Amino acid sequence: MNLILFTFIVLLGFTSYYFGRKKAYTIQSTKKRLTALPQFYGYYLAIWCAIPAFIIFSLWAIFEPTIVKLLILSDYSNQGYLDDELNLLYEKSKALSRGQFTGEITPFIEASAEKYLSLRSIAQSSKVVIVLSAIIASVAYAYKRISSNSRTREPVEKFLNAVLFTASLAAILTTVGIVFSLIFQTIDFFKVIPLFDFVFGTHWYPAKAFVRDSSEALDPTMYSDTFGAVPIFAGTFFIAFIAMCVAIPIGLMSGIYLAEYASTKVRQYAKPLIEILAGIPTVVYGFFAALTVGPFLKELGTSMGLEVSAESALAAGGVMGIMIIPFISSLSDDVITSVPQSLRDGSYAMGATKSETIKRVIFPAALPGIVGSILLGVSRAVGETMIVVMASGLAANLTLNPLESTSTITAQIVVILIGDQAFGDPKTQAAFALGMSLFLVTLCLNIVALRVVKKYREKYE
Amino acid sequence: MIKIKAKDVDVFYGKKQALFNISLDIEENQVTALIGPSGCGKSTFLRCLNRMNDVIDICSVKGEILINDFNINDKSCDVVRLREKIGMVFQKPNPFPKTLYENVSYGPTIHGMAQSKQEMDEIVETSLKKAALWEEVKDRLHEPGTGLSGGQQQRLCIARAISVRPEVILMDEPCSALDPIATAQIEELIDELKKEHTIIIVTHSMAQAARVSQNTGFFHLGQLIEHGSTDKIFKNPDNKKTQDYITGRFG
Repeated sequence: MNLILFTFIVLLGFTSYYFGRKKAYTIQSTKKRLTALPQFYGYYLAIWCAIPAFIIFSLWAIFEPTIVKLLILSDYSNQGYLDDELNLLYEKSKALSRGQFTGEITPFIEASAEKYLSLRSIAQSSKVVIVLSAIIASVAYAYKRISSNSRTREPVEKFLNAVLFTASLAAILTTVGIVFSLIFQTIDFFKVIPLFDFVFGTHWYPAKAFVRDSSEALDPTMYSDTFGAVPIFAGTFFIAFIAMCVAIPIGLMSGIYLAEYASTKVRQYAKPLIEILAGIPTVVYGFFAALTVGPFLKELGTSMGLEVSAESALAAGGVMGIMIIPFISSLSDDVITSVPQSLRDGSYAMGATKSETIKRVIFPAALPGIVGSILLGVSRAVGETMIVVMASGLAANLTLNPLESTSTITAQIVVILIGDQAFGDPKTQAAFALGMSLFLVTLCLNIVALRVVKKYREKYE
Repeated sequence: MIKIKAKDVDVFYGKKQALFNISLDIEENQVTALIGPSGCGKSTFLRCLNRMNDVIDICSVKGEILINDFNINDKSCDVVRLREKIGMVFQKPNPFPKTLYENVSYGPTIHGMAQSKQEMDEIVETSLKKAALWEEVKDRLHEPGTGLSGGQQQRLCIARAISVRPEVILMDEPCSALDPIATAQIEELIDELKKEHTIIIVTHSMAQAARVSQNTGFFHLGQLIEHGSTDKIFKNPDNKKTQDYITGRFG
């Protein structure tokens, strides 16, 4: 029903565009000069069609359920029911009206379900009537108003401005929303687990929280030594460090090669090939690490007499590094290419060789941008989940041995939130606290990276 | 005395020929100006003299260019040594994003010309003095070279070029990005520098060529139409095209 109405409104929009433009042509044919191109008259009318429709639709969506509920419950309001009972009754009758109710059907519920249905259908048809009449009224008003000297260009431009602004606002508000959802749960978590224990505790064992019987009262002391985040923070940075050890040298050198040494032809093929690496889904990297690299390292280690875990930090970090190579290589290639040719010429004209020019002139000039690309790579490494979950194990060992398994913030969030969870439980909230800390770390990294990159841009543009 | 002798130089960009059969002698310790309309190949010819065209993949140079009777297009020519001897100043000032000191010490460092910090300080000071920049910047040698004004940046680039005591300095429209006062300073400097260096300058300004040079070559459509003493080219050219260009009838 809503879909048909929506289609109809869109059609109305096109029609008003057509009429607006037609009126503009008519005015033009009387040798009067228009204030804008005829299209603007059309867009102007189409906007007058869209705005009332949008306003009424959103108001309806906000208020209809509340009003229907009030009307149904008003029948029972003076009969001494509790609010909770009324709510339950309302939900039951709603379910019955949809045919999804399975409990015992009382006459009460049946009556209110019937009322619900009739109210809904009244609401629907009145919505159609109101929306359509509002559109027709507003379009007719606007149609009458437009004349040779009415201003249509400015409102259309303003409308576009508003639409684009709303789009970017939506993106920003989503971020804010995510942060808030993290904040409240995190605060709840720290009400039970002291911040000090979380930040400085060296024992992470959330499984201990699983065994609590939900009927037991919440006893903070039983969580001591359960949510100490040091091992997983250490694991996160350790794996990210291993990844960067792989990604920075290879990425940077291939970036320099592409920017300075490769011929146009090689570059044309090599660059997209390297960028393919960035397009591989992380889950594929994950099983590559878990099923190929991990066992290979284990065998290699065993043959050398080393004890290597099949799920080692080295395997996860190494594969993660390969995943990050294209970011660093591609970004540093761009940065190096954007160093002005005049600097290269200046250096060559002094008799410098290619490698001297790169080392002494190009690299220092591109350094801020390269640092920026590395920091972006680090923030990806810290936030990477799938590879770690699959290849590095889930036990939070506090270790600096790359051959042992270790775990990261992201992997632990996955562990905690897989399967059944109870809201309001410290175990679930721990995931939010971890998410919050991860968010803060990557946020700082991104801010620093963007600052550095921006500073670099100012220098040459 | 003749410092540079170009014999039948052809230059190609891919399949397109940019210079045709250029033969030109350049006198030692004089200023030679190369003039001509845009795209006539004068900058291309200049870049042949220190093999800067090597940097461009599709560019190929044929013919002989003798500097001190040695053909620089020969395989045995060491480009690093060549460019040490032939300095270059570009159209747009291009100081490195480093300090003033590092800009000037760049050449001496890569050619290993200074044994101690003291020697390097001396080279930097002499070069900046010769480039008439010392008085203006002696208190801020360790500030970035990009912070100078356009004219100062260009003199810094000249200081950088002369720091390795080149025999020849190539200047590719060194004043085109500068205001008249900075231009006058650079021109004065060129007059001073010709005592120790052979200078070849590409310029769009006929007045500048007349002011600073002793010899002039006129390029048109990749050909050297006429060359000779500046006096003769400007007052009594042999070729009608030269006459037309000098008097502003085309170009």
